[in-house]
Amino acid sequence: MAKIKLDIFRFDEAVDTIPHRDLIEVEVPEATTVLDALETAKAEIDGSISFRRSCRSAICGSCSMNINGVTSLACKTNCKDVVKEDGSIAVDPMPNFQPMKDMVVHMDPFWDKYARLKPYLQPQDKDADHATERRVSPDDMKKLVDVANCIMCATCYALCPVVSVDPAFAGPAAIAYAYRFIEDVRDGKREERIAQISEDYLWLCAHCYACSYCPKHVDPNNRIVDVKRAAIKDRVMLNERGPRHALVVAKTIKQTGMLAETEVILGTVGRFNVVGLLKALAPLAPRMAYRGKTPPPFVKPIPKVNEVRTIFESLEVPVS
Amino acid sequence: MSATLLPEDRPLDAHRASRSRETKRYGFFPGCVAKESCKELFNSTMLLADKLGIELIELTAASCCGASVVNDINRDVARVLNARTYAQAEALGLDDVITICSTCTGHMRAANKELLESEERMDQANAILGKFGAKYNGGVMVRHLLWMLIDDIGLDNLRKMVVRPLNGLKVAPFYGCHIIRPENVNGWESARNPHSLEDVIEALGGEAVDYAGKTRCCGFHVQLEKDGIAPNMVGQNMRMAKDHGAEAVITPCPLCHLALDGYQQDAGARWGRTDLPTFHLPQLVAFALGVPAEKLGLNKHLIDPRTIMVERELIS
Repeated sequence: MAKIKLDIFRFDEAVDTIPHRDLIEVEVPEATTVLDALETAKAEIDGSISFRRSCRSAICGSCSMNINGVTSLACKTNCKDVVKEDGSIAVDPMPNFQPMKDMVVHMDPFWDKYARLKPYLQPQDKDADHATERRVSPDDMKKLVDVANCIMCATCYALCPVVSVDPAFAGPAAIAYAYRFIEDVRDGKREERIAQISEDYLWLCAHCYACSYCPKHVDPNNRIVDVKRAAIKDRVMLNERGPRHALVVAKTIKQTGMLAETEVILGTVGRFNVVGLLKALAPLAPRMAYRGKTPPPFVKPIPKVNEVRTIFESLEVPVS
Repeated sequence: MSATLLPEDRPLDAHRASRSRETKRYGFFPGCVAKESCKELFNSTMLLADKLGIELIELTAASCCGASVVNDINRDVARVLNARTYAQAEALGLDDVITICSTCTGHMRAANKELLESEERMDQANAILGKFGAKYNGGVMVRHLLWMLIDDIGLDNLRKMVVRPLNGLKVAPFYGCHIIRPENVNGWESARNPHSLEDVIEALGGEAVDYAGKTRCCGFHVQLEKDGIAPNMVGQNMRMAKDHGAEAVITPCPLCHLALDGYQQDAGARWGRTDLPTFHLPQLVAFALGVPAEKLGLNKHLIDPRTIMVERELIS
């Protein structure tokens, strides 16, 4: 048996104005999950400790919370892997959500972003006579199974740094789920779906891979890239800054072999968009210029740049 | 280098342990930003190499690594661009490639992993490289300068080489996403709890500041997508660093440097003024090893690090 001190975030929105912390010591077997430790504390010491849980085996997605500052499923985290030197484990509600009671948070913004996706199949022939089944080849299905493993635990949403500063961003889980329908051969709303997720700031993903910590290996980070490629391939809403940025980066690499910073800024914000450029660059640009840190206006092509162009042409990479 | 090595037979870093400690020549991939906005990073890296007694041979015909952005357009192009760079490194006998940018590290390693794990992808890349007579045999290893300092120089040696210890300067490490995540691509250390920068800070005589923002994102890659996002992400992280007592920040990534150094001022309205000077990793190491401060391009920083250095009696 092992003694563990649970350092628990306590807050009840019905009565509290500020949260406090309780330090509760429990005795649990050596190999115990954080969820089991919390259950022990609730059963033996303080029945008012609140947290969501159901399946206890990483299938229901209820018990996502911050464990020593990192969002994880409590049922999938072993105490002995995370316990600090002083024998304590800090347990907090997921960040990026409004706390309701202890580790229970208001999940509404997360569900709202799912609802906006219309997360159900919308076949082209929905009014046709369904005498025959809609068949999907194993190869087509293979693309979707990873995302189908999503248990909507919101770990990725809680870890996302973009959500933390801009709640309008759809977040990793919703974009991954959009992919699930965009790439479903039976679905008839591919273009509308790409446009909708683009409006929900698909291109605001910061490429940070925080969502690669997904406990079910859905890896929303890779699915976000897949949806962006679908947008480029189908040429949906390409006049936004996100796709313009990606295309102009590719263009400067094709032309010079290098990512030409000045050209990327002009191409993304818009060469003739004076107000946009001023808003994006002021007051940073003058400060940089003052320190002699302005990127060069032109970049000299690397030696053998034709080889780079051959690569782009062989792969038929779009650059505009 | 044998052309018959198969990906299955050679895990990504198989030769890391067996590599001779005497090897002092490295292929050097500086990346675009160290050649454009952050020339002080390039220069201080070269000065550091002199102090360390190693030779960094720049791969001058190498292209951009893809910067995580061209992946959004095409699944193959970044991989083949990097295969071209690796082919050049192999041809020059420089299969140990050092980078000085977290994003270059992550994306070059991801491309290499994809190539080594799939014969099909390797064949696709070589079919294209063949059009201009190049071939990649799968023998390149990509590491960040940070890892090379620890693997090849060693923290004990580094400690011995310090001539100007940092007098307990409180330095907050800021890793930059792509040097730690995804863990299965980088895997040099734990992505959730890395400590290589802390180890280096302490070897130099500084005090490492622990704070939750050290593994978070600086927002650089979306600074142009929507105004205000990157400054907010910078402000959030620098607030945490400052509240934990940081006097300065160190980063192995020039993209993080541009964001942290550039946006703290803009973030002040929401997060309060932090004004933490940000060092490029090689700047601070080179300084502690005795490179004169005036050669390190510290005057190029928007938040001048010389103020705190004078205060802590590191320079006069």
